[in-house]
Amino acid sequence: MNDFWLALLGMTCITFTCRYFFFSTSVPFELGPKVKRLLSYTAPSVLTAMWVPIVFLGHQESNGDFITSPFLIAGVTTVIFSLKIKNTLAIVIFGMGIFGALKLFF
Amino acid sequence: MPSRTAIAEGSTPSDFKIMYQAIVDIFPLSLAVVPWGILCGSLAITVGLTPLQAQLMSLLIFAGAAQLAALTMMGAVGSLSSMFSSTFVISSRHLLYSAVFREHVRKSSLGLRCSIAFFLTDEMFAVTCAYMAKHKKFSAVYALSSGITFYVFWNVATFTGIVAGQHIPNLEHLGLEFAIAATFIAIVIPTIKNRSTLISVISSGVSAIVLSIFMKEYALIAATFIGMFCGYLTKEKSVINE
Repeated sequence: MNDFWLALLGMTCITFTCRYFFFSTSVPFELGPKVKRLLSYTAPSVLTAMWVPIVFLGHQESNGDFITSPFLIAGVTTVIFSLKIKNTLAIVIFGMGIFGALKLFF
Repeated sequence: MPSRTAIAEGSTPSDFKIMYQAIVDIFPLSLAVVPWGILCGSLAITVGLTPLQAQLMSLLIFAGAAQLAALTMMGAVGSLSSMFSSTFVISSRHLLYSAVFREHVRKSSLGLRCSIAFFLTDEMFAVTCAYMAKHKKFSAVYALSSGITFYVFWNVATFTGIVAGQHIPNLEHLGLEFAIAATFIAIVIPTIKNRSTLISVISSGVSAIVLSIFMKEYALIAATFIGMFCGYLTKEKSVINE
C-alpha cells in the first residue's frame, strides 16, 4: 500500500492527540466537582460498552444461534465466576479456558 | 527515552515496590492481549504490509482496536480519510481517560505528560484507576510501569504474529475478541461496589447492545456517556435522599 507511511503517521498523531489532549497546559479549563464525579464512572461505563456487545452479539459474526453461542455462554459464566473470585488473573484464564473449550467441542 | 529517566530519577525503594505492584496488576491483562497482538501482526502481513511496517504500527500507534480496523480497511482498499475517521472514533474514549488523569498530571513536565499519554490504554487506565481508588492518590510511576509492561507484551505479541501468524490458518475466525471481553469483565465486575456503579454498568451495557444494532460506529462512545450519566444521576438521587 503506497499510502502506508501517510496512514501510519496520521493514525499515530490521532491516537496520541486523543491520549494527550487534556494533559495539555493550553487547554484552559478547570474540572469542577460535578465533572469529576461524572468522570469517575468512565472506566466501568466504557469497558462495559466494549465487553457487552462481544458477549451478547458475538454470535452474529459466525452466524450461530444466540443461545448456544460460545461468546454468550463463556461470557455469562465468566461474569458469574468474577462475582465469586476477585482475582483478575484467575478470571481471565477461566474465561478464556471456557471459551476455548466451547470453541473446540462445538 | 523520557519515560525511563522519569522513573530512574525519582527512584526510591518504595518506587520499586510501586513498579512491582504495577507489573503484577497489569500482567493478567497483558496476557489476554497476546492473542489480539498475534492477530494484528499476522493480519498486517496478510493485507500486504512489510514486517517492518507491521511492527511499526504497534510500536507507534499502540492501539489494538484502531489498528485492526485500519488493517481491515487496507485489505478492502479503504480511503485514508475513512481510516482516519474510524481511528478517531475508536480512540475518542482516550479523551475521557486523559480528562480523568488531567488534574494529577498537568503540573508534571512535558516529557512525563507525553510519556503517560503515549502509554495510556484501556488496560493501563483501568489498573491505574483501581490503584487510585485503593491508595487515594495518583502515581506516575505506577501508570508508566503498567503502561510500559503492556506495551512490551503488545509488541512481542505483534512480532509473534508477524513471524508465525501466517502459519496459523483462519486466525481471524477463532473469536479472539473474547479475550478482550474476559479481560474487561475481570476488571469491571469486581469494581461494582455501590448502586451508582451498578447502574452505570447496566445502563452502559444495555445501551451498547441496542446502539450496536442501530448505529455501530458511535455505539461505544454513546453508550459510555449514557452509562456515565446514569451513574452520576443515581448518586445525585441517593445524596438528596440522605
